[in-house]
Amino acid sequence: MKCHVPGPNVKVLARTVHTLARFGDELYLESLPDCILLRTLNAAESAYAMIKFNKNFFSYFNYNYYSTEDNEGLKCKISMKSALNAFKSPAHIDKQVESLEMKLDPESCKLIFCLKCKHGIVKTHFVSILDCKAMQAVYTKDTVPNRITSPQRILNETLNSFQTSDDQVTLEATTKSLVIKNYIDSNMDLTKIIRTHVSLDPAEFDNYIIGEETTITFTLKEFRALLAFAEALNLPLQLHFETTGRPAVFIVHNGTTFEAHFVLATSKPDNATQATSTQSTTTKERNKRKDTCNTQGSVKKKRHIDVEFSKCLEEDSHLFNFVDIPDDINLKASNNLDNVKEQIDFDNVIPASPTSRTKIKSVFKRCFESTFDPKSIQGVILAENSDSE
Amino acid sequence: MKFRAVMNNSSPIREFSTIVSTISKLSKECVLRIADDMLYFIVSDENTGPAPPVLWCEIPQSVFFSEYQLVGMDETHQDIYLGLNSGNLARSFVSLKNVKSLKMKLTKKQCPCLTLEIEVPSTTSHQTRQIVHDIPVAVVPWKNWPDFYEPRVPDPDISIELPSLKQLRTTIDRMRTMASEVMVRASAGGQLILQIRADMAKVSTRFKDLNVAHFDGPVDNSDPETDSQGNEDSSEIVQCRVDAKKLALFLNVDHISTNTTLCSIVHKRLVTLCLQTDDNVKLQCFISGIVY
Amino acid sequence: MAEDSSQYHFTASMDSGKTLCSLLKAIQFQESAVFCALPEGLKLTVEEGKCVQASAYIPADNFTEYHVRDDVDVIFKISLAVLAECLNIFGSGEEASLKMYYKCEGSPLLLVLQPQSFRNVMTDCEIWSQTPDSMLELRSPEETDVAKLVVRAGALLAVLGDVERSADVLELRLQPEPPHFTIVTYGMQDRSCIEVPECSDTLQSFSCERELTLKYQLHHLRLCMKALAISNKVVLRCSSTGLLLLQLKLERDDNKHMFSEFYIVPLLDD
Repeated sequence: MKCHVPGPNVKVLARTVHTLARFGDELYLESLPDCILLRTLNAAESAYAMIKFNKNFFSYFNYNYYSTEDNEGLKCKISMKSALNAFKSPAHIDKQVESLEMKLDPESCKLIFCLKCKHGIVKTHFVSILDCKAMQAVYTKDTVPNRITSPQRILNETLNSFQTSDDQVTLEATTKSLVIKNYIDSNMDLTKIIRTHVSLDPAEFDNYIIGEETTITFTLKEFRALLAFAEALNLPLQLHFETTGRPAVFIVHNGTTFEAHFVLATSKPDNATQATSTQSTTTKERNKRKDTCNTQGSVKKKRHIDVEFSKCLEEDSHLFNFVDIPDDINLKASNNLDNVKEQIDFDNVIPASPTSRTKIKSVFKRCFESTFDPKSIQGVILAENSDSE
Repeated sequence: MKFRAVMNNSSPIREFSTIVSTISKLSKECVLRIADDMLYFIVSDENTGPAPPVLWCEIPQSVFFSEYQLVGMDETHQDIYLGLNSGNLARSFVSLKNVKSLKMKLTKKQCPCLTLEIEVPSTTSHQTRQIVHDIPVAVVPWKNWPDFYEPRVPDPDISIELPSLKQLRTTIDRMRTMASEVMVRASAGGQLILQIRADMAKVSTRFKDLNVAHFDGPVDNSDPETDSQGNEDSSEIVQCRVDAKKLALFLNVDHISTNTTLCSIVHKRLVTLCLQTDDNVKLQCFISGIVY
Repeated sequence: MAEDSSQYHFTASMDSGKTLCSLLKAIQFQESAVFCALPEGLKLTVEEGKCVQASAYIPADNFTEYHVRDDVDVIFKISLAVLAECLNIFGSGEEASLKMYYKCEGSPLLLVLQPQSFRNVMTDCEIWSQTPDSMLELRSPEETDVAKLVVRAGALLAVLGDVERSADVLELRLQPEPPHFTIVTYGMQDRSCIEVPECSDTLQSFSCERELTLKYQLHHLRLCMKALAISNKVVLRCSSTGLLLLQLKLERDDNKHMFSEFYIVPLLDD
C-alpha cells in the first residue's frame, strides 16, 4: 500500500487516530481497491470503531503497491501508541504538516508515516507491524427502527451536565422526547452520587424517527470520544439503534471522503452490570476463543509471495464469533463449566443468573446463533459498509 | 419537611453559582441551613471533629428567589439543616449559561435529595431543555444544630480593610511555596504586613494606607517574636500566625463580587475575613492562629 | 538599607524584573544556583549531575543601575527557587521594579520589589547566601567546534516538543550533505526521524566539517525547552568531544539582550 494525504486531510486523519486511541490499544489497517479502513476494538470488546477513507480522500492512492502476485491489499495491525506518535497535536497539525505519505516497507515489515512539514522539515516514523490480519465486526446499521440525526453540539452540550465520574449513560427514546441520564447500578452508593437527567425535545434534532420506543445503556468513555470526534470536525452525528441489548451504531461522515462507524454494546439498565467482572470474564472468553481459533487453525495459512504476510480468513471472521458461549442461561454445556464457575465467583453480590453478562457479550449475538455462518454474510457486510447516507 | 424555591433570572443564578463554587473550593462538605429569610452555607473544620464553623455564609433569600416555600419539621424546629457535598452542588451549577429558570426542592428519591430542575434554552432551536440533578443530602437532626450556629468570637483587636483580594491571593500563593505559615500583622496606622520565614529566606509584603475600621489597642507586644520596622510603635501592631494554605484557600472568595473585605484580628489567636456584597450576601471566614 | 549602600559589594536595579524572572525559571532545574556578579553583568549557573551545566547571563546594560566593587569577587550560592518566587511575588501579570543589594561576603542578598500599578505595596526579601560549590569546567580551551548551527528558537522548541517523550536517548546526526541535521529516537520497536535540511528556513546558518552521530539523554535536552520558549535565537555548537553547547539569545524590546547557555555531555557508547 502507498498513499498520499494532502495537508487539510492530515488533520482529519490525526483526529481519527486520536479518537480510535480512546477506544482501543491496537489499530488495524486494511487497504482495499477503493478505500482504506482503520479499525479498533476496546479491551472489553464492548466498543468498536471503524473509519473508512475513500479513494478521493487521498491525493495518491495505490492499495497494493508492493504486491505483484494478486490483488490483495495490505492487512496489518500496529500499536495504537505508535500511531499516536506519528500524529501529535491534532489541533495544530494543519499549521505544521503539508502532506503525509503512508506506505508499507515490505523488507523491514514496517509501516512508514512520512510527514512533510513546513520549512522543509521531514518527520518519518517507522512503525513495526505487529500482525498481519484484518479485523471486522458484524452489526446492523440500516434496518434499525430508531434513527436520530443530531447536530454534534446538542449532544456535547448535554454531556456537559454529567459528571466526569459518571461511567455509563442511559438513553430513553420515545416519540415525545429523548431523555439522557447517568446510569446507576445497584452496587453504587446512592448517597454519594448525583443523579442527572436531561430531556431533549425531538424538534431539536435534524431527523428523529423512533419506530420502537426503547431504553439503551452504554459506556460514556467511548461515547465521549466519538462525540469529541464529531465536534472536532463539526459534523452531525447519526444514531442508529434498535432494542435494549443490541449494539448502537453512531455514524459520522462528510458525505464524500470518509465515513466513521462507532459501535457500542448496550445493556439492560435494570440488570446490574459489574463492569470490572464483565471485563475479566470477557478477557477470559477472548483468551479461550484464541485457543479455539488456534485449534481451528489447521486451516492453511496462505502466503503472499512477495511480502510474506500470512492471512487467515477463518480466523478473521471468527474474531467475534462466540461460538462456545450459549446465548441464554443454558450454561450446561460441559466445555463451559469453567466459565460458569468463574462468572459465579465474581458475582457474589447478586445471585441472579448471569444474563447481564451474556447480554454484554451479545453485541455480536448474530455471530453465535447456531445457524449463522459468517461467510454467508460477508458479501452483505460489504454492501452495508458501502451504503452512504 | 418541605422546601421549594425558584430562581427566574440569570443574574442571581450566576451569583449563586459563584458562591457555591467558592464554597466548594474551601471545603468538600458543608451544611446548608434553610431558614425563612436566609440561606446559610456553613463549613466546619474537617480535621478537628465537632468544632465551631470556619466558614459562615448568609444569603438573603428574597434577593435571589422569586418563589420560596419552607415547611420545617415542627413549630420549634422550623429550619432545615442539610449536610451535602459542596462539590456536587457546585458541579451541578457549573455548566449553566443563560438559564431560564432554576427550581430547588427537597425530595425523597432513594435517599433524601436536593433536586435542581433547570430549564435552559436550546442553542440550536426554540425549544427548552430540562436538566434535572438529584443531589443526595443528609438531613441533620436537630440535636446537632448547635454545632452549626454562628460562631461567637472574641472582639477583634483591629479591623482593617483589605487591599485587592486578587493581589493578596497572588502574593500568598507565591509565599506558600516557600513556607507553610504566614504571619499576618496589621497596624493602627493602616499597614498590613504578610511575613514568612523560609529555610533560607525571609519575605515581607507590606501594604500601606489601608482604612482601619476599628482599633482596640494598645497591644501587648513584648515578646521576642515581634519584628518591628523601627519606626512602628509595637503596641499598635496586632498580629497572628496562620496556616498559609488555609489563608490562600479563603482568599479564593475574590471571585465573589464585593466592595470591601474586612480583616479582623484577635491578637495571636484569630484572623477573620468578612466580605459583604451589594446584595447583602455576607461571608465570614475564621482562621485560627497557630501558637507555639 | 538605611545605611549608605555605596560601599556595598554589589547593587543593581531594574524597572521590571519580569524578564529576569522568566530567564531564571528557565534554568531552574535545581534548587540552588551560583550567583556571580561580574563587572560585565550578572551570571547564575546551575548544574545537574556532571552532565548538564546551564547559565543565565544578564549584561549590565539591562539594569538601570549596576555596580560591582572592583576589588572584590561577588560569588555565592543561593536558593534559585526562592529567588525566582520572590521576583514573581506580585504575579506574572504585574511589572514590578527591582532593587538588589549585597553588602559584603556572607551577607544575605536583599531584594526590594514594587509593582508599577499599585503604589501602596512593596515586598522585601532577604535570601541567605552560602559558599559556592566549584563549577565544572566542561570545555577545554583547545576544543574546537566540529559543527555549528544557528536555529530559530521556536523551531528548535517545536522539534524537541515533537520527539516522543518516552524515549530515553536522542541521537543527533550532523552531516555536511543533506539531510544535514537529523534527530532520531527509538521506541520499543519503532524509530522516528526528524530531518532538517540546510535550505530550510529553520536553519539560519549551518556548518559541519564531517559527519557526526552523537547520543544525548533526551531528558537533558528537554531541560532547554523553557529557555527556548522565551528566546529568539539559538546557536548549537558541537565540539570534537561531542560536548553540545546551546547558546540562546533573548531579545528585549529596547534592543537589550539576555542570554542563557546549556552545556550537555554526550552519552558514550559502551
